Amino acid sequence: MIDAIASWMLQFGALSWLGHTGASVAAVSLVGTALFIFVAANAIVLVYVERKVSAFMQVRLGPMRVGPMGTLQTVADALKLLVKEDIIPQFADKILFRVGPWVILVSAFVTFAAIPFSPTWVPADMSIGLFYVVSVSSVVVIGIVMAGWASNNKWSLYGAMRSAAQIVSYEIPVGLSLLAAVAVVGTLNLQELIHAQAGVGNLFHWIPIPVPNWFIFNNPFLFIAAFVYLIAATAEVNRTPFDIPEAESELVAGFMTEFSGIRWALFFLSEYANAAVVALLTAIVFLGGWQSPFPDIQGARIGMSVLAILAILWTIYVKYKANRFSIYPLLMTVVLAAMAWLFPAFARWLANPGLIWIAIKGGTIIFLLMWFRWTFPRLRVDQLMYVSWKVLLPLAMINLAGVAIWMWLTGAINLVG
Amino acid sequence: MTEAEIYDLLVEKFGDKMVEFLGEEKTPIAVVQPAALHEVITFLNTDERLQFDSLMSLSGFDLGGGEQPLGVAYHLHSMSLNHYFAVKVLLEDRKNPKIKSVNDLFRTADWHEREAYDMYGITFEGHPDLRRILLEDDWEGYPLRKDYVQAEFYRGMKIAKEK
Amino acid sequence: MTRLNAEEMVLNMGPQHPSTHGVLRLKLKTDGEIVSHIEPVIGYLHRCFEKHGENIEYQMVTPFTDRCDYLASMNNAHAYAMAVEKLMGIELPERVEYLRIIFAELQRIASHLVAVGTFGLDVGAITPFIYCFRERETILDLFEMASGARLLYNYIWIGGLAHDIPPGFVEKAYEFLDYFDDRVREYNRILTGNKIFIERAADVGVMPPEVAISYGVTGPNLRGSGVDHDLRRVQPYSIYDRFDFKTIVGQGEMGTVGDCWDRYYVRVLEMEESAKIVRQALDQLPAEGDVKAAVPKKIRPPKGEVYFRSENPRGELGYYIISDGTNVPFRVKMRSPAFCNLSVINEIGAGWMISDVIAILGSLDIVLGEIDR
Repeated sequence: MIDAIASWMLQFGALSWLGHTGASVAAVSLVGTALFIFVAANAIVLVYVERKVSAFMQVRLGPMRVGPMGTLQTVADALKLLVKEDIIPQFADKILFRVGPWVILVSAFVTFAAIPFSPTWVPADMSIGLFYVVSVSSVVVIGIVMAGWASNNKWSLYGAMRSAAQIVSYEIPVGLSLLAAVAVVGTLNLQELIHAQAGVGNLFHWIPIPVPNWFIFNNPFLFIAAFVYLIAATAEVNRTPFDIPEAESELVAGFMTEFSGIRWALFFLSEYANAAVVALLTAIVFLGGWQSPFPDIQGARIGMSVLAILAILWTIYVKYKANRFSIYPLLMTVVLAAMAWLFPAFARWLANPGLIWIAIKGGTIIFLLMWFRWTFPRLRVDQLMYVSWKVLLPLAMINLAGVAIWMWLTGAINLVG
Repeated sequence: MTEAEIYDLLVEKFGDKMVEFLGEEKTPIAVVQPAALHEVITFLNTDERLQFDSLMSLSGFDLGGGEQPLGVAYHLHSMSLNHYFAVKVLLEDRKNPKIKSVNDLFRTADWHEREAYDMYGITFEGHPDLRRILLEDDWEGYPLRKDYVQAEFYRGMKIAKEK
Repeated sequence: MTRLNAEEMVLNMGPQHPSTHGVLRLKLKTDGEIVSHIEPVIGYLHRCFEKHGENIEYQMVTPFTDRCDYLASMNNAHAYAMAVEKLMGIELPERVEYLRIIFAELQRIASHLVAVGTFGLDVGAITPFIYCFRERETILDLFEMASGARLLYNYIWIGGLAHDIPPGFVEKAYEFLDYFDDRVREYNRILTGNKIFIERAADVGVMPPEVAISYGVTGPNLRGSGVDHDLRRVQPYSIYDRFDFKTIVGQGEMGTVGDCWDRYYVRVLEMEESAKIVRQALDQLPAEGDVKAAVPKKIRPPKGEVYFRSENPRGELGYYIISDGTNVPFRVKMRSPAFCNLSVINEIGAGWMISDVIAILGSLDIVLGEIDR
């Protein structure tokens, strides 16, 4: 994408004076700025969504006062944080205290460089994209330890230490579960990973139910790997039930205890950026990224109809079981299905790969993370390590072997030849 | 067992170390000589027939300043036999009131004795950690004594006067 | 080989900390995550209840008792009123007794709701807390109907009540009970049976019965340790002998008897029992009766002393009152349950991790207003 923009700049008469290097630098800055705006907007939107989701789960309303339905609440909060007094504790390590939040933010932010948003939109389409994302996102831990140590606060130090132990431990199941998918395709390039998930196939190769050819569906071991990844990644981004580094009720706020104002806002920004990275990566590696779940127009129509029927059944079930009734999911799916049948253009749009699909998939995963957060209690630090080293790690290892065996069984690789 | 029966048992065992029994009170209570208190409570705690395993409350009190004695009341309950008994001692020496701690029998006495020390200045001998508990460590005087005079200042802060 | 010079670190938890349930300070000696010694420092909320009590008239003490355990004001005022009534030998009208039971048990539900919710909060589950508060609000609405206040009621007077319940109260109360009936199932679904919650609470902070009794731990904490001791049963005061309810005792379903989970679950089940008592009391409530019939014109108890104890949501609440025959108490001592319950924390909490200490503290359900008085 950067190359494309750079060459467009060179072709565009008014900008040809930039030269090759200049065009590249300009393109990188342009894309970087766009990504940064995306990251900031992402945090603002997700904070609002999180508040609303938690409110609905907790029979509350959530923010309602600022803007329609409280939509401007997070904007107001961000402004407040920006103009707040910048407090640095007297005995803090001033340099590390200032640098820490930025290290965290940068490592969360640069991850987006390799994320493909659509068939054509990928800031840097690199051959080691997956490796890059995993490795860069783990730089976060340095920033957290810096922030925790520099605060000169025992609670912060506890938070930082817990975080370091946790992120280092959970890197391994994360890596291994992603490796399972890499083993199937044989590439680390994220675009190629997505391209390999095109089309429709049988569920787990042999069960004759037509499903999209996503990794989570066409290989039972990758199905498991997806969950291993999701659990481990939840831990890696410090979200409940693995939020022990910030553990509000235990460590006050963990490594961010002493931070306020803009620096604290940076933590928030990177927290949600990380959540978005995890969600997008799950979508890319296991759920087909920007691939549409429908193979063609007819597929889109049938798929939407199935969805509408499921919604109807669900509504009946909920009415019967809990005596609650909501028309909106029903109405939405039925209208969409009807539109797919009535307007071929809409059906074609549904069948096309694109930004919308990765957004829907990523959004679902983020919702899932929020659902975890507002439902589960928090694990203890030793239980957390137990889950990582004694449950997820063996599972991921076996999985990796399983993927190889599966590929041999389905004939994707030939051991003899 | 009723309180009167328990008192009879105690008189049988300790004789004139038991001062009197106030059976007509709403909560009958026996008065014991301070020197014998620990023995009496140990007996109440360990005797087969009594088994007072729980100290419900330990309260200091002051019978009114001047020459009146301070005192400590012990309210006991037996979880296993479900009966009650109360014992109190009167400490004549207001300058240096002393009584043996029952912390070795009931762990709950730890904090209760600290509180009585905090409020009345009663020293519990044998208490492992007799410090003020509710008030500041450097508070002057024992506020629940009837002859307590409120200080003017505490660490330079003016203490508001009542009335 | 040289050893690293490792020392224990003193970690100051509180007085400002999200999980100390008020202004409690715990001095933790820690070795990494492991806590080797806990020293509670209390007194930050000391409001001189006993000193005040010696300087004001009997009825004027009631608002102070309300403020001691601010989550169970009704129970506190009830116990104090009963203590003074015992000292004066007042016989109460039936209707007053029933209404007091209704309020005391509703308050017990409300208090346990906070305990259950905040325990969830301490182990990291935020949503159950809000659910519990939703139910508590309904109870507070009932209290507001009767007394005009939502937290500190000053409703139970010596010898009666401040005023009779308003019309429609009984219906509202029934409505609440019907609604509350399957709430416990909801809590069990969202919290009690949650695997992570069980991991966090079961087998943690086990309090053996001997330790509990020796430390004077009472109430749900004692029953969680498997001791069948409920003052409403053991020494029925007021009219508790007329109602049919079970004493809930910890069974150790998920771990050892006396662990945090047991203490938590005893509270959950006790709410059901309290709801049962309220229902029976509402059924039997006499329709007629002046709630102020027995309120004495002058509260001037005869010379003497009384120790009266009752079952507060947190345990055994005792009042030791000495009267010198005037209208001002000579000595009011409050034996507060949370005071004794907290003193056990080092015994059961040392050796566990920081997170566990918070869970144990949450499971003890302390109220600082009552500890410091």
